[in-house]
Order: sequence, then C-alpha cells, then structure tokens
Amino acid sequence: MQLSENLVREINEIINDCLADESPYCQSRCPLNIDVQGYVTLIGEGKYRQALELIRKTIPFPGILGRVCAHPCEEECKRGEIEAALSIKNLKRFAADMADDPEKWDLSRAPETGKKIAIIGAGPAGATAAYDLQKKGHQVEIFESLPVVGGMLRVGIPAYRLPETVIDREYSILEKLGVNIHLNKEVGKDIDFEALKNDYDAVFVAVGAHDAVMIPVEGSDLEGVLEGADFLRKAGLNQEVKIGKKVVVIGGGNVAMDVARTAWRVGAEEIHVACLECRNEMPAHSWEVEDAEEEGIIMHPGWGPQKIGGNKKVESMTFKECTQVFDEAGNFNPDYCEDNLKTIEADNVIFAIGQRADTSFMNEQLNIKEVDQLTLQSEVENVFGGGDCIGKPLLAVEAMSHGKKAAESIDRYLNSKELTENREEEGAYESKLQKELTREEPVRRRIDMRMLNLEERKNNFKEVELGFNTAEAMGEALRCLECECKECIKECIMLDEYSDSPKELFERVKKDEVDPLVYFSCNMCSQCTIACPNDFEIKDKFMQLRKILVKENNGESPIKGHNAIKWHQRLGFSKLFTTTRAAVDEEDTK
Amino acid sequence: MAKTKRVFIPGCSLSSYRPELVEEVIKYLKNKLPGTGAILKCCGKPTKALGQYDKFKERYAGLQSEIDKLGADEIIVACQSCYLTMSANSPEQKVTSLWELMPEIGMPEGTAAKAEKSDLTIGVHDSCSTRDREDIHNGIRWILDQLGYNTEEPPHTKENTRCCGFGGMVVPANPDLAQKVMDRRTGEFETEHLVTYCAACRESMTKGGKKAVHILDLIFGPVWTSESEFPGLGTPIESWVNRYKTKKKMQKVLS
Ligand SMILES: Cc1cc2nc3c(=O)[nH]c(=O)nc-3n(C[C@H](O)[C@H](O)[C@H](O)COP(=O)(O)OP(=O)(O)OC[C@H]3O[C@@H](n4cnc5c(N)ncnc54)[C@H](O)[C@@H]3O)c2cc1C
Ligand code: SF4
Ligand code: SF4
Repeated sequence: MQLSENLVREINEIINDCLADESPYCQSRCPLNIDVQGYVTLIGEGKYRQALELIRKTIPFPGILGRVCAHPCEEECKRGEIEAALSIKNLKRFAADMADDPEKWDLSRAPETGKKIAIIGAGPAGATAAYDLQKKGHQVEIFESLPVVGGMLRVGIPAYRLPETVIDREYSILEKLGVNIHLNKEVGKDIDFEALKNDYDAVFVAVGAHDAVMIPVEGSDLEGVLEGADFLRKAGLNQEVKIGKKVVVIGGGNVAMDVARTAWRVGAEEIHVACLECRNEMPAHSWEVEDAEEEGIIMHPGWGPQKIGGNKKVESMTFKECTQVFDEAGNFNPDYCEDNLKTIEADNVIFAIGQRADTSFMNEQLNIKEVDQLTLQSEVENVFGGGDCIGKPLLAVEAMSHGKKAAESIDRYLNSKELTENREEEGAYESKLQKELTREEPVRRRIDMRMLNLEERKNNFKEVELGFNTAEAMGEALRCLECECKECIKECIMLDEYSDSPKELFERVKKDEVDPLVYFSCNMCSQCTIACPNDFEIKDKFMQLRKILVKENNGESPIKGHNAIKWHQRLGFSKLFTTTRAAVDEEDTK
Repeated sequence: MAKTKRVFIPGCSLSSYRPELVEEVIKYLKNKLPGTGAILKCCGKPTKALGQYDKFKERYAGLQSEIDKLGADEIIVACQSCYLTMSANSPEQKVTSLWELMPEIGMPEGTAAKAEKSDLTIGVHDSCSTRDREDIHNGIRWILDQLGYNTEEPPHTKENTRCCGFGGMVVPANPDLAQKVMDRRTGEFETEHLVTYCAACRESMTKGGKKAVHILDLIFGPVWTSESEFPGLGTPIESWVNRYKTKKKMQKVLS
C-alpha cells in the first residue's frame, strides 16, 4: 500500500518517540547500561546462568561489581518510592556466585586486526578497555607498576569487601583472550612513555590516582603520621602494616571508612574518624558509615584538623569546630570556630582526604586531564585517557564505563571512523519513562544482606557480606516492578494481541508487513491515547490506513466480514426504512 | 404546516432495538418542546468507520438535505456516535444530546422517583465516543438519580471509560477480538445489571454476559428489579422489523 508523505511523517514520530524500548530507571542510571531488569527477572525465574550471561554481555566483572559497586542504579529504582530500592548489587553478586563458570566464558574474538594497543594501568578502566579491544580483534598489552592486577579494586578497596580471589578469577579472562599483562612495569621508570606512543597504534592511559593528598597541619612531620592510600596499598599487597592502639583518621569519604575499618582489623583498638562535613553531608555513602560504626569506629563529623601533638612521635590530635565547608558561591572554603577545640589521644594519624594522579611520566606538553569528554581522546591523536587519572575520583563502575568509551574511540580511530558520532547515549542518562505507581502495589521489604559476625571479623580480612541464598535472591528479584512504558498495550487488547508496541507495529506498517485486519480491529476508542505519555493519536493512524486500503480496493473494505454492512447501509437509506416528519405543533413564542 | 424548530434523530441502533422507546421520546419532546420534528435515516457513519470517505459524504448529504427540508436549526440525538458525526458534519445546526437536555427540561411526567423501591444496583457504562462530554455523563447520572436507582461506577468510567467492543466496526471484522473487549469491559462491574445510553453498547454488554438495559428502558419502561426479565439479543431480521415499526410509530405520533 502507498502511504502519503504526511502519514509516513506521523508514523515516524511514533517510531522515534514511542517509549516502548526506553531503558528502565535502573538501567539508564547505570554507567554501563547493564540490563538490570533483564537479569533480575531471570534470577526471579531461577535462570541464574542466563542472568549471569546477560551481565557478562556488557562486562566481565559481575562478581567484582556485585560486591563493591556503589550502585547508582538503586538510587533511581522506582521501588524506592514505595519502601526501598531493589537490592540490585546483591542480586548481581548472587548471579555470579551461583552461575559463573570460567569453563563457559565466551572467549570468542573478532578476526585479528594486526593493531597493537598499550594500556597503562590494570585498574577497572584499563582492564575494561583491554577486554573490549581484545574482543574486537586488536592485540592489547597492559603495563602495570604493581606486582598485581586490579588497581584500587585491590590496593584501595580492602579484601574484606572484595576478596583477591574474586579479582584474580574475573581478571583471568584477559589473559585467556590473549591480553599480555606486564606486571612490575612502571611507565616512566621501566618503560618510556614516548616509546609506547611510537611503538603502538594507540595508548590508553588509565593510571588512576594513587598519591595521597596531604594538608599542611602543624605536626604532620611527626612519626606515626600516615597516608591513607599508602596504608591501604600495603594492606592490599599483604605487606606488614604497623599501627598503634589509638588511631585518628582524617577524612569523611569512603576511603576514610576503609582506612578506619582496615586499622581495626590490623590491631587498632580505638579508632576515630573526623571530617569537616556534618553528619548528613559526609561524602561517604551512608551504608559505609553504618558498617564502620558497627565495628565500633567513632565518628566526629564537623571537626577540622588544628594540630597534631607530640614529641617526635604522634601523641594526640587536636580539632577545631568547622562551621562552614563551602561558601555561598559553592566553593570549598572552610570556616572554623577556633575557640571550640577538642583533643583526642592518638598513636597514629592517617590522612584520607583524597588522592591525585601522578602523570609525570608524560612530557609536560600532554595534559591527560584535558582529554575530550565525549571521546576520551587527548591532544595527541593516538593517546586516550580515562578513569580516576583524568580528574575527579570515580566509582569503579564509572571507571569501567570510561574503559568502554575509550575502547570504542580507539577502535573507531584505528578504523578511521568518525569518533564523535552517536555517542550521546553512552554512560548514564535520565530515563524518559513516566511510570506512575498505583497504590495497590504491595509493600515488600528489602532483603538485608547477612553479614559476618562482628567477633569473626577482628584480626582478619574475611569477607563481611555473606551473599544472598537462593530464597533471599528470589524474594528480592520478585520486588522488581518491571518498569516499562507500554501503557497503551496494557490498556488495549488489540494492540497487545497484534504488536509488541506501537513502535514495533508501525515499523512493520512502514514495511507493509501488517495484516489489514489489524487496522480494522481498532475500536477507535482513544484509550491508548489517554494512557500514552506522548498522547499519540494511534486510532487516527489506523483510520488513515483504513482509508488507503479502501481506496486501493475500489472503495470497498478489504475485510470479508464487512460485506454485510454494504447491504445494511443500502437498506438504511431505502424508503422502506426512512421517514422525515415535520413538527405538528408550533413552539410557544411568547 | 407548523414550523419545525428542531428535529429528533433517534439513529439506527435505537430504532432497531425498541420502536416504543423512540415513540415515547418523541411524545415527551413534543410535550416539553413543541416544534419538534423527527427523521429516521442513517447518517452513514458505518461507511466512515470503514474508511469509505467518499461514500460517507454522499450518504451524509442525503441526511442533511432532509434536515434542511424541515428547516430545523437544532438536532436532538440519543446516540453518541450520531452526536459526533452530526456535530462534525452539520455546521449550520446546533446538535444537542438528549442526555444533556433532560436535566434542563425535566423528567417525563410520572417518572420521578419511580424506582425508589427497586432492589437493583445498576452499573453505568459510559460510551467512549463522548468520553470528553462531562455534561452528558452528568445528565445520565442525574436521570438515574431522579428515577431512584442505586448505581455502581466501574474503575474506568466517564472520561476514562473503556470501549464496549463495538466501536470501529470491529464486530464484523474481528468478532473474537471484539468478544474479548466486551468480556473485559463487563468484567469491571461487580453488579450483574448494567445501564447504557447507546443501543450498540447495550448489545455488547449483553454479549459480555451481563443483564443490560438502555437508559430509555428505565425512563419509559417498567420499574426494573432483580426479578425482571432483561432484554436479550435480537436477530438481524428482528432489527429490520423494528426499524420498520419505528418508522410507522414516528409517522403516527407526528401526524
Ligand atoms: C579506598 C578506596 C575505596 C573505594 N571503594 C569503592 C567502592 O566501594 N565502590 C566503587 O564503586 N568505587 C570505589 N572506589 C573507587 C574505585 O576503586 C576507583 O574509581 C577505580 O578503581 C578507578 O579505576 P582506574 O582504573 O581509573 O584506576 P585504578 O584503579 O587506580 O588503577 C590504576 C592502575 O594504574 C597503575 N599505575 C599507576 N601509575 C602507573 C604507571 N606509571 N605505570 C604503570 N602502571 C601505573 C596503578 O598501579 C593501578 O593499578 C574506591 C577507591 C578507593 C581508593
Ligand atoms: S483507539 Fe484503537 S488502538 Fe487505541 S485503545 Fe482503542 S482500540 Fe486500541
Ligand atoms: S503508551 Fe504506547 S505508544 Fe505511548 S509511548 Fe508508551 S509504548 Fe509508546
């Protein structure tokens, strides 16, 4: 059938703007856009292996993310408006625990391209880029200064949150795919950056941020003052860490919590954490603070460092009350009440206020922080940068998303393709869904993660979170509201019967692949339009399609069942069944 | 000859359903609004629904010339489909629904509170074609209240009402689908007894397994109770016989 230009335009509008395939809130907020609803549903159906495979389609680190992902998805979960967000992170770990089997990993690769790529740093950004690029047929070499892989996943995040075995197992896919990992190779010392730039087709700089930021405080040169990043690195590398009984940690972020909880495990008995921010503005996630407090760590929100007391060795730490962290313009500009002081006895003071990247191995002309945000390409066309080293501290999942982005850019670059085209939907974005909750939705309590007993945590790095069992996972998966649009489909029996969504249906309409009966099965009731957040006038399209079919069928409906109407119509107009009667009495016209 | 100020057009489905009701409406209008004539003729909507626009235009022109012949400047309709078709195609005439008119001119003599003793709770099914006409929804509820029936509103009602299944000529094209739509609609009601204000909707509700009457049955018929025998489904032959009878009755009351 021949569609008019106008109708094609209207149909295209539906195809383009119909929300039927819009990602749910969770997925759109995931920097990796993992199909959360998909795997949660599969878990609910007991199909753990398929659930795992769905996650692995996007990222080969389900067990890592299932343990430490800061889950921005859960912040957007619609369930949160009823009682609490779905426990998405824990369900991911469950899928990995239940079904991940290296024997079944997909190790397929595109044909060899002959291109060589150097990646500096084996953290999540570097590893993800290596995985994607090796899969695409390129040959990747990773250069890592430490004797282990994982980056901050291993030398930042302590093993009681993410066991080394999980990292090693999931990272092993890289070597299985043929990635060469060179450990103990520091770029700038063991290898020259310029050489990499020249010898490889592309270089991805993903060196993270490992140098602790220090602030000039009186007494910071005393023995017993430590850097948080250094402290955690030693613990992560299983090196001996010496610590006194009383420890003060400075900083209110997640790193400070990990430092404090690690100190507790290696022998400290009284641990204080102080930060400038007040309690509900602490940068650490609320659950990190709660877990630390459970282990007896004492929080001092709203206190800034004044001086470290002691003679050669640290003996105490004095704080002053912080009255403002940011000024009205929103700039970091702390203000203190110098009269309100408090002093805590301490053997060690550990600074955990931030890390910065060391990129001194690159010559001064190249500033890796100035990579293009859309493509992660630097001023030097074959050098790309991503992860923690290009500016602000990221979440692990964001670092992985950078890795993916860089891999996509590098692949395009190596194939001489346009780097900037169609990249807007990479990473997290805001879902256009407009799901409205009905008040009938029953309340289903979020299932808590079981944790190792407190006594069993002391003096070791055993994993604290125990993972869901099958019953817990099934229960949690059932809480998913399966957010999607398809409001029209829920309302209209006929659309439901003949299509997956209007988007899908009208794509077929354009290709003339739809049975005309469909157009003649619309009740013209507008119920779909009422339900549609876009107010699409779907019946109007069916009406126009009917008209075309009739026109192309000599003025008659092509539907068999409509033959009778022709006769009814003739009778309805015949003299036998019609009459016109004038009024028999006049209206009073007063 | 008296001047015909307005004309009542009962529509095909009502006249195929029960000729007496058409007769009663004309008597009522004659009484309340002298100067009312009537026309029995199809408006051609079915052709329009099928997408046969040229045929529809031709058919409607036939009806329009009858209206013009009488010189009426107002059309009164008792069918929501007629309401829409005529509003769109007779720009010179004002189109009024009987259901918005009744609250203005009052209930027929002797009907007020007549069903106060009825044990029925009647579910109200609104026509989807006039879902945006609040005055019609209100008129229907006003009438039911005047009569004294208890009513039930389904989850989808008034502007959010669901199609009865008859719309868009789906019944002859895709009867199985239409049946599903009908069943879903009737499934929304707790009560077994429904009232519609469109004869086609009434038929759909009956096919959907409920006992259904037209609101004119309630106004001009007996007092309905759980003991009453509700009308069923007519055959096509019966429908045409009824239409013929309607014509005769119209000719009788307007002579
Ligand atoms: C203590 C701590 C706890 C955290 N907890 C969480 C958490 O719970 N959830 C979460 O989502 N995120 C967390 N993060 C953040 C997350 O770990 C980081 O955002 C992420 O690891 C950054 O990845 P990356 O690949 O950019 O860098 P990194 O992980 O830092 O990896 C960079 C790698 O490059 C190597 N490298 C550096 N310089 C050179 C060089 N010159 N030559 C060769 N190799 C080099 C480093 O040794 C390192 O292995 C935490 C971070 C820290 C520090
Ligand atoms: S107008 Fe047509 S497509 Fe829309 S809900 Fe009604 S029957 Fe379905
Ligand atoms: S209601 Fe239907 S047509 Fe409208 S956006 Fe949603 S899926 Fe698309």
